[in-house]
Amino acid sequence: MTSTLLRNSTDRVWPAEGVTRVPAWIYSDPEIYAKELKVFHYGKTWNYVGLDCEVPEPNSFKRSWVGERPVIVTRDAAGEIHVVENRCAHRGSLLCWKNRGQAKDLTCPYHHWSYNLKGDLMGLPFLRGAQGKGGMPRDFDKSKNGLTKLRTAVRGGSIWATYSDDVPPLEEYLGPEILMRLDRLVSRRPLRLLGYSRQLVESNWKLYWENSRDPYHATLMHPFLSTFGILRTDGDYHSVPLQEGRHEYTYSHYDPELKNRSTEASKQIKSIRSDLEMKDKDVVTSVVDEFKDGMMGAFQVFPTILVQQYFNCLVVRHVIPKGVGAHELSWTYFGYEGDDARVNELRLKQSNLVGPAGFVSLEDSEVLSLMQPVVESCPDSVQVLEMGGHGTEAQATMMTETLIRAFYDFYRREMDL
Amino acid sequence: MSDWVRIADESDVSDGEAFASEVEGEAIALYRYEGAIYAIGDVCTHEHVRLSDGWLDGDRIECPLHQSCFEIRTGKVIEGGPAYEDVPAYAVKVEGGGVFVRRNA
Repeated sequence: MTSTLLRNSTDRVWPAEGVTRVPAWIYSDPEIYAKELKVFHYGKTWNYVGLDCEVPEPNSFKRSWVGERPVIVTRDAAGEIHVVENRCAHRGSLLCWKNRGQAKDLTCPYHHWSYNLKGDLMGLPFLRGAQGKGGMPRDFDKSKNGLTKLRTAVRGGSIWATYSDDVPPLEEYLGPEILMRLDRLVSRRPLRLLGYSRQLVESNWKLYWENSRDPYHATLMHPFLSTFGILRTDGDYHSVPLQEGRHEYTYSHYDPELKNRSTEASKQIKSIRSDLEMKDKDVVTSVVDEFKDGMMGAFQVFPTILVQQYFNCLVVRHVIPKGVGAHELSWTYFGYEGDDARVNELRLKQSNLVGPAGFVSLEDSEVLSLMQPVVESCPDSVQVLEMGGHGTEAQATMMTETLIRAFYDFYRREMDL
Repeated sequence: MSDWVRIADESDVSDGEAFASEVEGEAIALYRYEGAIYAIGDVCTHEHVRLSDGWLDGDRIECPLHQSCFEIRTGKVIEGGPAYEDVPAYAVKVEGGGVFVRRNA
């Protein structure tokens, strides 16, 4: 009998089969988790932190996260974007408590140290003491006690930050294929914020990361998709890993006639119910081919986001680690300035597809949060990834785990596992 | 305060020290500098605090909270602190041992 009990961490080796196997200890080991944050989120990566429509005017801010660290995205009086740690340089208290708003400066609630929107310390109470007593030493230098500033990049309407001085420029980090897909959604027209959903998922962040690289589960676990013929195994579908597994994209062409066709593949999926009719078809019928390419799909930018276009619903899923056994999913829904009423209505209706209670996403967080205690209790158990073969190449099917294998190929190199 | 209002005795106001007063609910500070008396608004335009509790350095008063500085002769804010707006300056006259202020037109 194969043991699934936890061995000492020094004994941990990746299964000999390679990327077709994933050991469960990577989802529960605090040392692995700490190393991931160091190597990935605080290392040589670009982290998504928000959209420019969330800080639309000079003197505005929003809170975000890089890894577990809270940050503030600001637009200063001159209109320039900055990303600073949301941590007072004095005693480390959380500086900004509001998710979004307007401000000319940021003042810590603890001792009222006050910073401008660039993160420079502007002043602190009782610098010179009171009644001639106390106060800071004469050599205290305000210019050396500002907030920690992150390197920042803006592409179209998207805002990114990094702790690394060595990571290549954002455009190079993303690469041409992600750049084209990102620009298609966020760079052609000014963005308009539609709203947010947020949820805490009690699973390791990688379980979600894999989940959005796993098209194969979608027709099975999300019966809404197959029931209403939106996304089926007999449709056109592409799963494409990029940069040796770092990023990926998937896409398909929507076929409005698919519901009326029945092929061998779709017969295998028992959840298709032709007797069920959707009352409001707006939710699944793209009437506005706004990108003029008939495409829908999603792409992942390691290590923070999945950007998704379902018909006219545009959404960024931000995966924020919250300890080894939890992550937050922050969903930001957007459209464009000047959207007409019809498109706006479709975006809002179709946003019901995703989010914490989305027609095609509510099952994910339920399954993953029940999966976490299982992988924690069997750390030396091993998962199998052989759907679509053993390789990590692009495949023109959704019946594949190639994107997950490609991810672990990348992951093992970066983590030295 | 469109008319002159007596705010202090002339002897109240000395060099190197702010004299905090109030007229009709407006906090006003008096300063004596190079022989003349000046009156400016005494509430910082950044956060609500009296500037006269701060640090007087020559012709400028530094806010006790975040070190925004204002010119005591004009009320103008000096760039570098978190305050962006000036405090008001008042017309001052000294008559019969009293200090009178009036809002500038």
